[in-house]
Amino acid sequence: MTHPEMNELYELYVLGALEPELASEIDSHLAEGCEYCVERLREATLAAAAMSGMSEQLEPPKYLRDRVLASVRPRKQSSQWLYAVAGLAAACVLLFAYSLWSMNTAQSLRDRISVLTQERDQLRSAVEVLSRPDTRMVQFGNNNAPRGRVFLSPDGGVVFAGSQLPQIASDKTFQLWLIPAVGPPESAGTFRANAAGEFVNVFPGPVNLTGINAVAVSVEPRQGSSAPTTTPILVVSIG
Amino acid sequence: MDAQSEVQLGEKLRNSDPDAIAEAYDLYGRIAYSLFVRITRDHSAAEDLVQELFLRLWNRRREFDATRGSIGPWLLSIARNMAIDYVRSAQTRFQSRLRPIDQTDTLHFSYKPNEPERLMDAVKAVQEALADLKPNQRKVLELAYFEGCSQSEIADRLKEPLGTVKSWMRAALERMRAAAKGEAKP
Repeated sequence: MTHPEMNELYELYVLGALEPELASEIDSHLAEGCEYCVERLREATLAAAAMSGMSEQLEPPKYLRDRVLASVRPRKQSSQWLYAVAGLAAACVLLFAYSLWSMNTAQSLRDRISVLTQERDQLRSAVEVLSRPDTRMVQFGNNNAPRGRVFLSPDGGVVFAGSQLPQIASDKTFQLWLIPAVGPPESAGTFRANAAGEFVNVFPGPVNLTGINAVAVSVEPRQGSSAPTTTPILVVSIG
Repeated sequence: MDAQSEVQLGEKLRNSDPDAIAEAYDLYGRIAYSLFVRITRDHSAAEDLVQELFLRLWNRRREFDATRGSIGPWLLSIARNMAIDYVRSAQTRFQSRLRPIDQTDTLHFSYKPNEPERLMDAVKAVQEALADLKPNQRKVLELAYFEGCSQSEIADRLKEPLGTVKSWMRAALERMRAAAKGEAKP
């Protein structure tokens, strides 16, 4: 396809109204980093956003603004989650202690601090999920197998935490999947376990949990996969 | 809202300032609500979707690059996809052909910070340009935009040849593109 031909297709491409084979061709071309087409894509996206003006302009009800603002306001933590939050905090301390023990050089210390910062941010996100009144919990596993808890909130996301996951090669990662009753699994993030097999994976929401019957964990290449490529090593029913 | 204010809004979002959501709602809440009502034909569902939309914005607040990102086009792209997904899920015939929401999320990084004014101007220009479209041009555009139909699906729906539908669509999009860019009526 030539540029003049593609030029007329970008609005359709952005709207998802292009036939799949043409969309794939444009995908491939954009992946090559064509600056002209990236600029056209930007223009087309603006035009597509402006087409929202085709709808009749209505005034939302007054209470909707308050409702939206209330939904993002931090909520007080309910007491039933305090134990879970304390457990996560303890896990954070254990990870920190483990990291101190494993550090040999200043460089590794800097690297570890970076990792811990990410883990801290992840735990903050986890606390947000655990604090939500709509969060429910499913416990899984036993003494001889991976065990832990899944916390699910349509607004907050999914927290998957536990222990006893097996060690995997350094070029592999664990990937969490949401398994619907119908349709393909949906990725809920990649994660790794520490040397003791402990893990915390936070998948920030909102997430559509309607029709999700189970979560599963598979071992995937380091960058993760768009669909499971191996048999899941763990399946937890949440129905 | 001028470009500087939009940059400040992005900064507030990154800093988790709850006022940022109030400002974003005041700027884009009405148009998002109107879009949700138009696509879902359900005021109650539209309210839920507005809440989910701004919650999604809040949850992704730390990813915004205030110097490069512009919130409006991103928000309205997400809103359209969410509404069409909602309708298709409700009709249990959802097959994801739309650009995935996660993929749409990344688009805002390609915007320039001077675009917010352009967006609202472009929205008005598109509203005015609609009057220039012939009924069949407007129909195919609405089926693509509000229902996410491909050109083949539109041809089936209207029982018209695919070539005819493409011709109508091309003319309609040409007019919308020109309006959004602030160009005079061709």
